Amino acid sequence: MKWSVGRKIGVGFGLLLVIFVIVGAVSYWSTAQLIAASEARKHSYEVLGTLDETLSLLKDAEIGQRSYLLTGEESYLEPYQAAFGKIDSNIQEVRRLTVDNARQQHRLEALEPIVKNRVAFAKETIDARRTNSFAAAVALVKTGKGKALMDEIRRLIGEMKNEENDLLKQRVEAAQADAQRAKWTIMLGTFAALLLAAVAGFVITRNIARPLQGLTGVAERITLGDLSVNGSTNGRSDEVGELARTFDRMTQSLRTMAGAAEQIAAGDLRSTVKPQSPNDVLGNAFARMTENLREQARQLVEGANVLGSAAGEIVASTTQLASSATESATAVSETTTTVEEVRQTAEVANQKARNVADSAQKAAQISESGRKSAADIGVGMNRIRQQMEAIAESMVRLSEQSQTIGQIIATVEDLAAQSNLLAVNAAIEAAKAGEHGKGFGVVAQEVKSLAEQSRQATNQVRTILSDIQKATTAAVMATEQGSKAVEAGERQTGSAAESIQTLAGNVSEAAQAATQIAASSQQQLVGMEQVAAAMENIKQASTQNVASASQLERAARNIDEMGQQLKQMVAGYKV
Amino acid sequence: MLEFRLAQERYAVESRYVQEVHPLKELTPLPCTPPFVVGIVNVRGRIVPVLDLKRFLDLPEKGLTDLHRVILVRGQDFEVGLLADVVVGVRSIPIDSLQPSLPTLTGVRNEYLKGVTAERLVLVDLQRVLSDPRIIVHDEVAV
Repeated sequence: MKWSVGRKIGVGFGLLLVIFVIVGAVSYWSTAQLIAASEARKHSYEVLGTLDETLSLLKDAEIGQRSYLLTGEESYLEPYQAAFGKIDSNIQEVRRLTVDNARQQHRLEALEPIVKNRVAFAKETIDARRTNSFAAAVALVKTGKGKALMDEIRRLIGEMKNEENDLLKQRVEAAQADAQRAKWTIMLGTFAALLLAAVAGFVITRNIARPLQGLTGVAERITLGDLSVNGSTNGRSDEVGELARTFDRMTQSLRTMAGAAEQIAAGDLRSTVKPQSPNDVLGNAFARMTENLREQARQLVEGANVLGSAAGEIVASTTQLASSATESATAVSETTTTVEEVRQTAEVANQKARNVADSAQKAAQISESGRKSAADIGVGMNRIRQQMEAIAESMVRLSEQSQTIGQIIATVEDLAAQSNLLAVNAAIEAAKAGEHGKGFGVVAQEVKSLAEQSRQATNQVRTILSDIQKATTAAVMATEQGSKAVEAGERQTGSAAESIQTLAGNVSEAAQAATQIAASSQQQLVGMEQVAAAMENIKQASTQNVASASQLERAARNIDEMGQQLKQMVAGYKV
Repeated sequence: MLEFRLAQERYAVESRYVQEVHPLKELTPLPCTPPFVVGIVNVRGRIVPVLDLKRFLDLPEKGLTDLHRVILVRGQDFEVGLLADVVVGVRSIPIDSLQPSLPTLTGVRNEYLKGVTAERLVLVDLQRVLSDPRIIVHDEVAV
């Protein structure tokens, strides 16, 4: 068999398709036959029904006619008239239904005039009854013409019904035969199709699935990396054989790739892999990979060289770093000590600042009391000034009174002088009186001496008064000077009070400043403590730095050794 | 006699000429009179001219005050007031104790002085003073 797999499958499925088409056609034809038979039966039943209805209508007309003839009531004519309306149309319906049957048409040709006659007769009897009398109608009926016509109609309709019943019977039998045939055809066709499908399935499975299973096993092993397998072709030239050969080629190609990879793994980068085709992804990738690997190996060699020298430099740098870290740790330690000293100094300064603030506070209180004292002094000075004014007033009054005393003294002096004059005049008169006036002259002498005494007394008083006035004037002057001194004192007190107030303000400001300084100093102390703590942390960090630097140094030495090893390793690559 | 003082010197007049002694009050200066006429005063309704003996006797001038006294003296014809610094009082002096005026005194002084006592009290010769032609004032003022 040199058929390809596609052809085998196509032939198998084609046979199945032919069988299914035959079975389907037979089924369709039988179904169409059954539908046609059913339509014919329905047609026959319609013809039979219409014929029965026509006969029934004639009977209704007859009954209506007879009832009218008997009673003469017009209402009994209603069925009669209704029947005659429909009879014609029924006969036309039968004619239409039986247009394919010549014998039935023939019988209808015979039936139609008889029915017309029967209708005409009935009309004649009814007219006779309506126009003439009951007896005339009975006479007409008695002729038997109506009955004969009716019998003829019954006979013809009976024939027609028989004809239709025969047709019906024939049609049912034919339909049953068709259905039986279709049943057999479908059963046999289906069985043949099932048999064919089983045979084709078996053959196809035998020819295709088994080799494919073998190839699947091969692919499975290749997937697991085993490239030592071969696809068994069995000399087949169909698609399966082609697939096996292709598998062989693929395995071959993969082996080539594996060999190249083996070479690369051994460090030989000189091999080149030729791609099987422009679409050979793996081959192209291998070619690019070897190219890239060559490039990378070259770069790696350069990098290893650079790394080696850099590692050497790093070792030197880390050595320096370690020594620097040690130095900086020492410096940090010294700085920490210094910061601690500064912190203690700040503490002392803070203490001093607090003392200063307290002192300034006390000074502020003292200056406040000084300010109050200055105000009191001002009040006292004012009182002194008022008293000095009172003294001055008293002195002025005293001066005025001494003036008054002087005036009084002048008056007394005047009186003394007048007394003296009087005494002189009296003495003159006494002298004029001569011897008789001697006694009077003595009296005048006495008066004169009294006047003299009072003049001397007044002179003494004047002298004393003059002293008093001088003293008073001096006192007034002194009082004025005192007043001026008091005023000056008051002014000075005022300025002193102002100065003291300014001083108090300054001292208060100084106290506030001192308090702020104390607060600042406190903050400074806190800051210094934080700095000290930070320096302590820095010191620890520096110690850790020293440790880290020595670790780093060791690590750098390791890196250097690794760089040397890397150089040796890279030297093994053949580029 | 009545003793009084003029410019620290003691003078006296005979008390028979003396009417009374007055304080110097309400002196009204009189124009068109010689310098020794000080003015006029009203003594109980009488108008009396006041003479200044110091000018008359060429004694140093000191100005007028209320303290001055006027000695009213009466001559034969008229009544004048003599201006005195201080009136000391009335005393009696024996006439024989009177010494003639000092020979050193010349001119006006010698002319009007009657004599000097042992206490250097100068007695003014009123008669002469009052009869002095200078005392009569006769002057017409051209108006």
